[in-house]
Amino acid sequence: MAISSIDCAAALNRWRGRPLAEKTLITAGFLILALALPPWPGAALVGAVMLAVTFGGARVPPRHWLSVAVLPLGFLATGALTLLVQLGPDGFALAPGGAAAAAGLALRSFAAVICLLFLSFTTPAADLLSGLRRLGVPSEIVEIALLTYRFVFLLGDEAVAMTHAQRARLGHSTRRRWLRSTAMVIANLLPRAMDRARRMETGLAARGWQGEMRVIDDRPAASGAVLALILVAQAAVAALGVLL
Amino acid sequence: MHIMEGYLPASQSLAWYAASAPFVVAGAVRIRKIVRERPEARMTLAASGAFAFVLSALKIPSVTGSCSHPTGTGLGAVIFGPSVMAVLGLIVLLFQALLLAHGGLTTLGANTFSMAIVGPWVAWGIWRLGRGAGLSMALTVFLAAALGDLATYLFTSFQLALAYPDPVSGVAGAMIKFGGIFAFTQIPLAIAEGLLTVVVIDALSGRVRDADKIGVLAGEAR
Repeated sequence: MAISSIDCAAALNRWRGRPLAEKTLITAGFLILALALPPWPGAALVGAVMLAVTFGGARVPPRHWLSVAVLPLGFLATGALTLLVQLGPDGFALAPGGAAAAAGLALRSFAAVICLLFLSFTTPAADLLSGLRRLGVPSEIVEIALLTYRFVFLLGDEAVAMTHAQRARLGHSTRRRWLRSTAMVIANLLPRAMDRARRMETGLAARGWQGEMRVIDDRPAASGAVLALILVAQAAVAALGVLL
Repeated sequence: MHIMEGYLPASQSLAWYAASAPFVVAGAVRIRKIVRERPEARMTLAASGAFAFVLSALKIPSVTGSCSHPTGTGLGAVIFGPSVMAVLGLIVLLFQALLLAHGGLTTLGANTFSMAIVGPWVAWGIWRLGRGAGLSMALTVFLAAALGDLATYLFTSFQLALAYPDPVSGVAGAMIKFGGIFAFTQIPLAIAEGLLTVVVIDALSGRVRDADKIGVLAGEAR
């Protein structure tokens, strides 16, 4: 999958223009609930609410969402497998209550993944990083992260082009060659990345860059009423998760 | 090896954030100092971070028949030094969570500790030891990259075992279980990445011009 596929979706969904505070409050609040509430019914409720918000509210394309959501399942399946068995003095045995533990873990993790994907699919990383500056993260670090974000796609395209060229010339025909070809991509990419950085630095210095990128932020400020509504919804889910 | 979103209990997620914090803050202080002295290093660092991210999106063949991706931990530690890697690693892990759904926000602290702190320090330590002991360049690079990967994988197994101890044999038993099941993918990956890094360093030597100041940057960063 292309590096930019989630980023494109983040820039095109219906909630792209909504205030950053609303989207991060939804994600952070429900993420904490998914971890803190008992998996059943707490995490299941969180997952259901977040799915409704993702598809009903932000109108994220379901097929694209699904193709990303299956990726962590491999890790989940392998990890949950270890909870099913226990290791005693006489070797492996089925763990009592292992199935319940594995199911609980799977439920909690998947609810958390749904929360993470909501944020990924509705908010471009650049927006999130500028939010970090307001939270007091040093501006040098935020600038480096923002520049990294911009370089990621440039270098990603370059690496894809190099890999295509190698494939077309049988560069991946054997394992040995494949490893060598990949090493060549990496060894060619690093000097190019440094060269690009230097040219960009020269270009910006010529324009009097002082080390901070200021862009116009024309999004409306978060309204207190919406934020309160989100908190009420989260309190309701929390109460249901504990009481049910 | 990334721990997925929501996999660790809340208390342990917080604990790993707290454990990573001193390393990340130390790295950030160092980066601020470097940037204040030489503003152009900002671009170099950003390009290095993006480079590390793109590395993890490349595919390399794995011995078991599947394919895997390099982590860049050893390469980054050798070129840029481990203290800067803590911050660059954190940035890369954040983008991997947001842009690729690889890893997560609640597990960011734990993943930073295993992949941006333990791995690079082990790789860098082996690199220094090997150079000091007069081992050949290729062997040292191979050992640094492969053992850096192995250290990351063992530490991640430890983190998972701590979160989910075995009902009978406790954390040690769980470590054997998690370590055993992920060994199928992680040990071939470590060997493949070791070989890969040797070819990369070999191809890079003499190609990177002084003007790139990678060596200088790494020297200061250490």
